[in-house]
Amino acid sequence: MSKKNIIELNQISKNYERKIALSSLSFVVEKGETIALIGPSGAGKTTLLNMLASNFEPSSGEIFIDGRPLSQLTDRKKRAKKIGIIRQQFDLVGQLAVIHNVLAGRLADWGLGKSLLNLFIPQERQAATQALTRVGLPDKMYERTSNLSGGEQQRVALARLLMQKPEIILADEPVASLDPSRAEDILEMLTKIAKEEQQTVIASLHSVEYARKYFSRLIALKNGELFFDLPADQVTNKQLQELYQLKELK
Amino acid sequence: MSMFSFDLHKRKILTVFLLLLFVWSLLGVKWQDGVIHASGVGTASEIFMAMFTPELSANILALAFESSWITLAYATAGMSLALVLGLVFGILASGVLATRKSSRTFLKGSFRGLLGFMRAIHELVWAWLFVASFGLSPYAAIFALAIPYGGILGRIFADMINDVPKEPIQALQAAGASKLQCLFYGYLPSVKNSMISYTMYRYECAIRSSAIMSFVGLGGLGYQIQLSLDDLNYDEVWTFMYFLTIIVVLIDGWSSLLRKRMAK
Repeated sequence: MSKKNIIELNQISKNYERKIALSSLSFVVEKGETIALIGPSGAGKTTLLNMLASNFEPSSGEIFIDGRPLSQLTDRKKRAKKIGIIRQQFDLVGQLAVIHNVLAGRLADWGLGKSLLNLFIPQERQAATQALTRVGLPDKMYERTSNLSGGEQQRVALARLLMQKPEIILADEPVASLDPSRAEDILEMLTKIAKEEQQTVIASLHSVEYARKYFSRLIALKNGELFFDLPADQVTNKQLQELYQLKELK
Repeated sequence: MSMFSFDLHKRKILTVFLLLLFVWSLLGVKWQDGVIHASGVGTASEIFMAMFTPELSANILALAFESSWITLAYATAGMSLALVLGLVFGILASGVLATRKSSRTFLKGSFRGLLGFMRAIHELVWAWLFVASFGLSPYAAIFALAIPYGGILGRIFADMINDVPKEPIQALQAAGASKLQCLFYGYLPSVKNSMISYTMYRYECAIRSSAIMSFVGLGGLGYQIQLSLDDLNYDEVWTFMYFLTIIVVLIDGWSSLLRKRMAK
């Protein structure tokens, strides 16, 4: 136990009406791990991420963040310091300038006065410039966000996370709407930033190839159950084949 | 099966029925006399002939300029007040500032009700009420415009705010933004352009209303039109009408300029 457990899932289940989305899922995540959630559609990846994001509570079981129950982390501003979220695009406010979307990552720390002033005179510009430089968009600072391409918008979302500095990053299909080269670009950037900032990442992905390439650990879900949970380099092709196999083929 | 096909054709049957009703109603019109006043045709042609010969004497033009100024001033002052009312009440009526579900329902219900009351009464009626209470003061015109227009703007603003896509707002919440921060970073920037262009359109309407309102004696283009009509000076009527048209066209030009700048 040299490293501390930042996330602990204890017998998590989630039912919708009679349908079981997740059944008694347990695992532990150490600080600094980068985890890819994989599995066929409807396996429960998004459900799991939504529960970690406190969008809804599990039907039974408990989630611990840093040793404390997630259900007690109700203050939105404090939670934002622990957990940050990045999803497919459409997460940014298109009408705002890029810099304001980036600085929105600071809203948890800013009062209303400062956040209003910021819309007229950008605050903490240096930090924003730095964040945008790290994602490779230093020259787009004052552009309207909706004018950026999908890949660029996802970089802006990354820059916002850089400003927010959460300990855990939840990424729900972060590259689902991007073409392969842009997708790899974003994943590389995400995992690199997480390593530099010592953040923990849990990302749901459609692509097994990307999961193996960019993440340290793979958690596979199938029909709401844990199928395997292995370091990325120990996952075999046979296991992956079984994971995505359709029922009819058995 | 027969029920199903009846459902399918319900609307067409209704359309045919309404058409027949309309044709039947035409039979009730007495075409020989009563549709047009005997001397009406003469007056109508006189009015339309005057269209080409508007009165352009110096003192009528001066009067037209002054009246246009009054009409424009009432509309602008009324619209400014309406914008403030519409923004404040519209944001409250959208319910995005409520923290709990119950308080949201309460906020939405009460402020939407208030906005409905404001716009249910026409500006002309408000004008009568205010003239009766304040006398013929500019405030009567300004308030008479501001209240129903504030109601209309507020209602539309609230709907616009409610139609903002959820994802960016959820992302802001996840980044730790409070309700008010979400309003200023999410909702308002997303609807700003639509709000501006709708307000400009309403401003145009306010100019027309302001002209009409002056019929109750508040001064302005409408009042002059009424006086000239009473004197049967159709040439003067057209001078004032052209001035009204020019203002509306100018406002329209300004609004499309604004929209072009926003689209950039």
